[in-house]
Amino acid sequence: MATADSIPDPPTPCAPPGNGLLILLAAMTPEQLESVVANLTASFPNEELLVATPDALLPNAYPSLRIVTAPASNSAWTLTAAEFVSAYQLAQKHEARAILMLGSESGSLGSSALHELASAVLDHADLALPCYEPSSHAGLINSAILYPLTRALFASRVRYPLAVDLGLSLRMAKCLADAAQRFTAINQGETPLWPVNEATVAGFAIDQFDVGPSIQPAAPELNTILPLLIGPLFSDIKAKAAFWQRFRPLPPARKAMPVPPAPTADTATDITPMLSAFRLAYSNLHEIWSLVLPPNSLLMLKRLAATDGAAFRLSDSLWARIVYDFLLAYRLRTINRGHLLGALIPLYLAWVASHFNIIASGSDPEGHIEAVAAAFETEKTYMVSRWRWPDRFNP
Amino acid sequence: MQNLTATMLQFDPSRSSRSLFAGNASVWRNMADALQQSLNRILSLLIAILPGILAFLVALAIFTLIGMALSALLRLGLTAAKFDEHIARRHGGSEWAPPTSPTVLIARVFFWGNILLGLIIGVSAFDASYATATTLPSSLLPCLTRVVEAAVLLIAGTLIARFLARSVLIGAVNEQLQYARFLSLGIKWLVLVLTAAMVLEHLQIGGNIVGMAFGILFGGIVLTLALAVGLGSRDLVSRSLESHAEHSSVSSAAPSTTSPDDSVRHF
Repeated sequence: MATADSIPDPPTPCAPPGNGLLILLAAMTPEQLESVVANLTASFPNEELLVATPDALLPNAYPSLRIVTAPASNSAWTLTAAEFVSAYQLAQKHEARAILMLGSESGSLGSSALHELASAVLDHADLALPCYEPSSHAGLINSAILYPLTRALFASRVRYPLAVDLGLSLRMAKCLADAAQRFTAINQGETPLWPVNEATVAGFAIDQFDVGPSIQPAAPELNTILPLLIGPLFSDIKAKAAFWQRFRPLPPARKAMPVPPAPTADTATDITPMLSAFRLAYSNLHEIWSLVLPPNSLLMLKRLAATDGAAFRLSDSLWARIVYDFLLAYRLRTINRGHLLGALIPLYLAWVASHFNIIASGSDPEGHIEAVAAAFETEKTYMVSRWRWPDRFNP
Repeated sequence: MQNLTATMLQFDPSRSSRSLFAGNASVWRNMADALQQSLNRILSLLIAILPGILAFLVALAIFTLIGMALSALLRLGLTAAKFDEHIARRHGGSEWAPPTSPTVLIARVFFWGNILLGLIIGVSAFDASYATATTLPSSLLPCLTRVVEAAVLLIAGTLIARFLARSVLIGAVNEQLQYARFLSLGIKWLVLVLTAAMVLEHLQIGGNIVGMAFGILFGGIVLTLALAVGLGSRDLVSRSLESHAEHSSVSSAAPSTTSPDDSVRHF
């Protein structure tokens, strides 16, 4: 079934009111706050900075800053719809030209990184995102699903589409606040938003900067976080179907990212629990998977379940098709959405186990993630075809 | 003996066959009369309720047509007013939003609302003629109502059982419980047994026996599950306690020790 959503007209640029940068901080410990303030004052030595924070500070604690109170957020691991609404309201109230939103672990970002993010949104970009130094054992949901899907469907090379530290121009903040109000209006203010998707659909300029190694805030456990992230992402993709079904060229690749150190025998991850989780799921969830996946994918999963640990490899194209089939089932409500996202978890663990096997064999982790993203691009035709004609025969 | 012999000597075969024939004819005549009366009763009953049936069908047909017309008008009007886009802008992110578009949903609600109205009016008309047909068994309509309600109960119970079974299965698999399928089946059958008991109770079949049987069966399933889970996971619990004790002793000795899995961060 073809989606009849119309593509919005390109936005007309408007001159931002006021001047200056609003820095919106998440709740953090005094030590982290100290570090962030030190980096900020080093980044902008001659400017009076406007800082909004939910933490209660003494009035004269930081004389170089103009401190205002920001509403506290319940979620430290990602930026939520409610935070984007309050960011835009604060920017309007204080006539800011741009906003720099910093997460609870932003003390680990250097002053040059902060300066680059802020300068980009003050000068030319609408959305400035950090590109954290990759780690082979961290950000795996991002590497397996968020980055490849965003790249394939929205033609964006942003490596961390859901970064907690980002810079926004005023019109980008308004765009995000408008999108966020859909959720806050129905008391779902804790839902994560997808700034890259919004910016791409609106035709805004996006830039990303290498910010070096960074500590990420602690996130909930996998069984909680995967549905929390993937559900809103699938919803957003469904809402923007008219945009991504058209072909758009991918921007040129950035310079090669730093290669994370190869795992040694001591640091190599034990994939046995992930494999047993996948095998247990294969023997129990086969009936549910068969409602979502085509027979060909099920056959490949059957072979995979019988594979030994060291030889365990989930092919990139199979993984891409699995994610696309789950996205389609989410759209069609083939089964309850909570059940659907729960049934994806063991398959994701199979991808993680396969990824660790690949990097243990000496391959470059970033190279594998790029290969996965390329497979998502290749399989996009499959996705578009099934999106438009879901009832067509699919072996 | 003498009397018996005398009686046998007095027996006249031709007279006996005549009386038997007359008796058979009387049975056939009585049977035919009974059938005739029954047919007459049914025909008169049908004639009595025929206007009601016709009124029911006419009411249903008219309201179906009205519903179709209203539904089509609403679809046209709401599409022209871009109602879907307006709703999507305001409530696009709702998890419980229906899969169909709001315009189609509203049109369907009006269509089925009209059909329901037609059914109610048709049943009222039928009821009026039914009241006049005194020969119809008085418990037929209430019984039909109970059967429909029981069917609804059965469908709802089956759906709930399937939903809960899937929820438990997926949750248990993600918690890596080896007896996930067993647990899921247990939950499914608990709900199904509860539903069956409710349906039988609603149909007033079995009386107290159903309640007792349900209690015994329900208790049996719970006990079986408890025993199976308890006995099956005895090793698991003991291993868990041992590992917890080991972890406590290791962490008190060397607090910085972490397992390899701790280094994996999914987000």
